[in-house]
Amino acid sequence: MTFWETITGSDMTREWNAFETRAAALPNDYRAAWEEIKTALMSYGDFTGRNLTPIFDSALGLLEESAADGQTIYQVVGDDVVGFSAALAGGEGARNYRDKWRAQLNANVAKKLNKLGG
Amino acid sequence: MGIRDIIEGKKQWRAHVARIKNLPPDYQIVYHEIQRYVFKVGPVDLLDGPLLTELVDFFEEGVAAGKGVLQITGPDVAAFVDGLLQDIPTYADVYQESLTKKKHGL
Amino acid sequence: MDGLTEMLKGTLEGCVLEIIGAEETYGYAVTRRLNELGFTDVVEGTVYTILLRLEKNALVQVTKRPSEQGPPRKFYALNDAGRAELTTFWAKWEFMTSRIDKLKEGAR
Repeated sequence: MTFWETITGSDMTREWNAFETRAAALPNDYRAAWEEIKTALMSYGDFTGRNLTPIFDSALGLLEESAADGQTIYQVVGDDVVGFSAALAGGEGARNYRDKWRAQLNANVAKKLNKLGG
Repeated sequence: MGIRDIIEGKKQWRAHVARIKNLPPDYQIVYHEIQRYVFKVGPVDLLDGPLLTELVDFFEEGVAAGKGVLQITGPDVAAFVDGLLQDIPTYADVYQESLTKKKHGL
Repeated sequence: MDGLTEMLKGTLEGCVLEIIGAEETYGYAVTRRLNELGFTDVVEGTVYTILLRLEKNALVQVTKRPSEQGPPRKFYALNDAGRAELTTFWAKWEFMTSRIDKLKEGAR
């Protein structure tokens, strides 16, 4: 049995295999971040994996989109993967993180519109 | 269905992307930053729900009226987006709720 | 007046209901009306999010109409639930403003 089967129960293995297939297609630094995000989300402990599946899915989707977009992994998750993951799961500190995302959104818009104008 | 399946598989999504490419550059920039933010926040019905499609409707109206993108969203784009997301639960909300239920033995 | 955003937050939805209640209209016209009233901070995006919420909460009837320029426009009219909501809003408003006025007078 793999790690994920142990955690999630084998009925969910197919879903996890699909995640891992998708993750394998990511650039190296993104793949490393994916591993970190998995570990961080796991530390929530109290879950069967089932209710976290959509969160893993959206995290992976975010990584895929951003990679396709040519962003660096740092631009996506910042320097605090644990905090980032907590925010994804709505855990402690999620609010701060959302504030960070908010600020990032506005800063990116300002920067890129500026470049466009100049 | 995963986000990626939807993004790559659905005709609807491709049509959506084509519409974005037709927007002026300033609108495209703001659209992409919003999408990036929304993906992080993770509202549950992001790709099945009308949020992003309606956003493009709204943007197209702004373009037709000859306005710049910040004129219609306001300078605080994040506040604008949070207004859109206000009533939509996120994956994180659903997860937290499932934890609470478990704790109380529901 | 500037800097009203925070204070307006809870009441803007009522203002939009009132404007739509007067006649069927669309987002930009609502924004313009609010701007003319002196709420210069209100942008279309603010009104747009409110209109979406009203639609989601089934307080308005939405009709798409072609416009002279660009894509079809969504027009909004109040339905019965919307009219009831508007009545509630004004009742709350009366209550709040009368109490706050009293507070202000008492302080003098």
